[in-house]
Amino acid sequence: MSRLGTYLKAVTSTALGRTPAGRGLTVFPDDIFLVSYFRSGSTWSRFLFGNFIHQDEPVTFTNMDRFVPIIYDLPDRVLRNLPRVLKSHECFDPRYPHVIYIVRDPRDVAVSFYYYNLKTRVIPDGYSMDEFVTRWVAANVVPYADRVGCWQDHVLSWVRLREGKPGFRLVRYEDLLADPVKELTRLAPLLGIEPTPARVERAVQLSSASHMQSLEKTQSQQWVATKDTRQDIPFVREAKSGGWRKKLSATAVRTIEQAWGATMKELGYDLVMDANSKQELVKG
Amino acid sequence: MPAAQGSMQRFFGALAQAGRVLTGRQIAGRGLTVFPDDVFLVSYPRSGNTWTRFLLGNLIYQDAAVTFSNIESRIPEIYFNRDRFLRQLPRPRMLKSHESFQPHYPRVIYIVRDPRDVAVSFYHHNVKARNIPDDYPMASFVPRFIAGEFDRKFGSWRDNVLSWTVLRKDDPWFLMLRYEDLKRDTAHVLANVVVFLDRCSFRKIDSSPQALQRAVELSSPERMRALEKQEAGSWVLTKGTRSDKPFVRSATSGGWKSQLSRESVAAIESAWGHLMRTMGYELVSEQTGPLAPAVSDQGVRS
Repeated sequence: MSRLGTYLKAVTSTALGRTPAGRGLTVFPDDIFLVSYFRSGSTWSRFLFGNFIHQDEPVTFTNMDRFVPIIYDLPDRVLRNLPRVLKSHECFDPRYPHVIYIVRDPRDVAVSFYYYNLKTRVIPDGYSMDEFVTRWVAANVVPYADRVGCWQDHVLSWVRLREGKPGFRLVRYEDLLADPVKELTRLAPLLGIEPTPARVERAVQLSSASHMQSLEKTQSQQWVATKDTRQDIPFVREAKSGGWRKKLSATAVRTIEQAWGATMKELGYDLVMDANSKQELVKG
Repeated sequence: MPAAQGSMQRFFGALAQAGRVLTGRQIAGRGLTVFPDDVFLVSYPRSGNTWTRFLLGNLIYQDAAVTFSNIESRIPEIYFNRDRFLRQLPRPRMLKSHESFQPHYPRVIYIVRDPRDVAVSFYHHNVKARNIPDDYPMASFVPRFIAGEFDRKFGSWRDNVLSWTVLRKDDPWFLMLRYEDLKRDTAHVLANVVVFLDRCSFRKIDSSPQALQRAVELSSPERMRALEKQEAGSWVLTKGTRSDKPFVRSATSGGWKSQLSRESVAAIESAWGHLMRTMGYELVSEQTGPLAPAVSDQGVRS
């Protein structure tokens, strides 16, 4: 029955031209992509960049797809006529001509992803965080999005292939959070925007965590990403960095650092592992 | 008028796509269903993938020799075959793909070939496919090849090679082959592939010297050319292309030395020199003088 259901859904969505673009997206030479792994500030960046680019109407969860559409919700035919700053979670795609890649400390990603999986009912209440982290690190791909690789594959696929190329900008979520004005100003030329202080300030104000949290309260039933999920767990969570220090056990931190430590250090994330061994050296 | 034509085209395109979904005939491509025991034979176009399919097909399935008519049910490619057809093949499957890095491909044999030879072969391939005219200058083709303009979805040669090697080079489920090594010592390289496939718990393969010899002979350029003459009209990869141009071309390495101008060679080497050296390809520019700093390519970091 479920196979028949899937089949019927596929047939009707294709017949009506409603199949989401996804990897079948038509890419144009002047397209700009906001790319990141899951839970790395990509929704926030849709607000931030949407409010930066579009001056007429503030971005909300319900109009976001008109300003910075995501490639997984709308069909290619619709996306062709929308503004072409697009959000994507894809691993390296050689066709993307301009990419703003947002990377986030994987220890924070782990915590955020845990709560997201609770919210979307992938894991039950009370599920062990350690268990979640072990599975998350060990998996080559995210089970329900099998073309998005593990955190390290995702980050390295873009960084190794595109760092230093003219159409590529690497942004750390932590830097965007600490000084959004500076980061938006730096990225403005790629977006073809004059970063006047007023324009940057407006974008930052209209995309603040508190503003997004209050919008989520009124719109979470309408937004595709949240409407069928648990309403007792918010989509916009802490919007902070370093939360892992309280939420992750030493074991979970070690699991992540052992798997991806070299890449983390390259991106400027200090390892607990290193700090510990330094202390031991001092003691010895 | 062109706008109306465009919308008609889109309309028929949508209609055809709906028909394919309705009848379960969607082309696999990037939407391919991947199983955890799949082995992928991946390369940039014109890097010896079809030859390797013949070699491995003749080694793995020793009941009947591989031809262009049966290769698609033995080691099928993913761009012309339907996902439903591919899902029904006996597992574990071996599939041919030209994609750049795909995190969900569980096991990968990656073939790399000297990009200077790839350029020459790809030029003739594009003439055959009617993408460029007969008299199109090679000197105009090479910069477009470097920019990755042909088959853009696979990326440039550099994107394709670098993405796989940098992300998977130390992975036990990844095996890299050089076309040139396969050419020089076919049986030896094939034996290494069998060891890899054994580790992947792929089906049992008889890799005795006789079996290896048989596979090499049944996959010789002469035999493949003879088969192409008979079967090109029905094989998915050659159907609809110019029949006066062969798909199986010189099947050699180093042809670029006589086919590419010094400028074309220099253009390829200055774009990808670092990565080429990493892959073991000697550069002309190094023999004649120091290579200009490779600004455009960092290559594999060690």
